[in-house]
Amino acid sequence: MALHSPGTLRSSSNAVLVVQCDGALDAERVRGSLERFLQFCPWPAARLRRPFPWGKLHWAASRRGGAPPSVRRRTVATAEEFLQTLDAEVNTGIDPRREPPMRVLCVDGARDALVLTWFHPLMDPRGAQNLLRHLLHLDRDPAPAPWGNAVPRFIRAPDTRALRERGQLARQSMAYMQTLPHAAPVSAGKVAGGRVRFRQASFVERESTAKPARTTQEIWWRLAVVGNAMRRIWEQRRVPDVAFVLPVAVDLRPKGEVGPTFGNMLAFHFARFKPSDAADVPRLASMLREQMASALREGQIEANDAAMDFLQYRPLAFVRRALRRMGGEIFSFNCADVTDFPAALEQCFGRRVVNAYHIPAVPPRPGIGVFFNRCAGRSNLVVAWIDGVVTDNDVTQIVQTVREGMGWIDAS
Amino acid sequence: MSTGHSPAGTEPDRIALALTAFVNANIMARGRTVEPDDEFEPMGIDSIALLKVLLFIESEFGFWMPDEDLVAENLASPRALARYICRRRGRS
Repeated sequence: MALHSPGTLRSSSNAVLVVQCDGALDAERVRGSLERFLQFCPWPAARLRRPFPWGKLHWAASRRGGAPPSVRRRTVATAEEFLQTLDAEVNTGIDPRREPPMRVLCVDGARDALVLTWFHPLMDPRGAQNLLRHLLHLDRDPAPAPWGNAVPRFIRAPDTRALRERGQLARQSMAYMQTLPHAAPVSAGKVAGGRVRFRQASFVERESTAKPARTTQEIWWRLAVVGNAMRRIWEQRRVPDVAFVLPVAVDLRPKGEVGPTFGNMLAFHFARFKPSDAADVPRLASMLREQMASALREGQIEANDAAMDFLQYRPLAFVRRALRRMGGEIFSFNCADVTDFPAALEQCFGRRVVNAYHIPAVPPRPGIGVFFNRCAGRSNLVVAWIDGVVTDNDVTQIVQTVREGMGWIDAS
Repeated sequence: MSTGHSPAGTEPDRIALALTAFVNANIMARGRTVEPDDEFEPMGIDSIALLKVLLFIESEFGFWMPDEDLVAENLASPRALARYICRRRGRS
C-alpha cells in the first residue's frame, strides 16, 4: 500500500523489480531504449494534488525531477554482494521532487540482472512490467509502442462519470470502511520508520499434494496461509486475539493484455479475521473468499476505485480518514499476489529471463508484508519488513509456514 | 482456438458461450477475447476476476460454487465451468 507523503519523506517508499537473466545485460542497449521512451513519454515527478477535489488529476515533472533516470552498471563478485546491492536499491529512498522517480541498474558478475527501482506511488508492479515491455519493444522495433501505437500513459483514462455519482461512490466506500473493526487491529507494532529488510526464496510445486489443484493459487488461500504464519508469531508474543485487518489490492486493469498504462490502477478490499481464525487454513480461506465475494456483490470494490480516484490515490490517508484511529494501528500486515511475470517478457535485452520478483519497501505501518509471484515455473516469496518489527527467526518461520501451506519445495 | 463443438448446440455449449460472453465483456481487455475452450489462467484471469465469474454463475444459474468444487477440473475454462454447471443442475 502506498504511503505518499513527500512532505514528510523519512524512509524509503521504493519498490524494486529484479529481473534475473542468463547473462550480462548491455547497459547501453537499456539506456538507448529508455532515451527513446522518454522522447514521447516524459517522466512524471510526482502525483500532484488537485487544488480542489474536483480539480484535474495530473502528473507533471519538475525541472529536476523530470531529468532522465540514470542507467547504471555494477559488477558483483558474490551472491552476497548482489543482495547488498538490492538492499541499497530498496533503502536508498527516491524523492521525486528532486530526482527522477526511477533508477535503472544493470548488474553482472555473480548474478546478471536488470533492477528497476521506483518511487512506490508512481507505479504498481503490473505498471512496471508494462514499462519494461515498452522498453523491450523499443529495443527491437522502430515503432514507438507495442500496443497498436497507443501512446503510453501514466494514468488511466479519466473517469467520465458525473462528479455527483463519483462522490456518492466515494461516500459508499467510506461507509464500508467504517464497518471494519473499530478496535485497533493486531499489528506488528508501532514502527516510526527504519531500514527495510527483505528475504526472497524460490520454490516449485511439490509433485504430489493432498490439496486439490488450483486452490493454492487463489489469493484467499495465500492470505489464509500468511495469516496462519502471522498467528503463530502473534501467539508467541501473547498478543490478544484482536482482529487482523489487511489491505488487499485489486488490480483493475483489463485482463489479457499488459497495456500501455503505468500508474497505479488499484482498488482496495480490506480482509479481516482474528488470529484464532487462522489456525484452520481451509476454513479461513473460505471465509476470506466470502468476504471478497460480498465486497464485489455490494459494489465496495467499485466504490473504492472511485474513491481512490476522487482522493488522488492516497489510500492510507483515505483509510485514516475513515477510521480515525488516531495514533492506533491501521493494518496488521500486507499480503499480495503480485502479478505473474508475463511470458512476453521472457527475453530481456537479448537475454533469457530466469527469474523475476518484486520487493516493495513496506511503509512504516504495517511494517511487514509477504508477496507472491511466479516466473519461469518458479513461485517466489518475498518477505519485506521494517527492521525491528520481526526477528530473522520470525521471518524464517513465516517462510516455512507459507512453504508448507502452499505445498512447495525449495527450487534447486 | 477451435472448440470442436457446434456454436450453440447443446446445453453445455450454450452455457459456455454465455460464460465466454460475460468474461469478454466484463473482464478482458478490448481486442483480447477468450474462447470457450481457452484456459483462464494463461489469459490473466486472477482470483478477483474468477470471483466475478462465480458471481455471474450465482446470478444466472442460482447457486454459489462451494469450496470443494473450486478445483482445476471445474475452473479451467468456460467450457469446464459449463460442464460443471450442467452436472450440478443434474444433481439438484
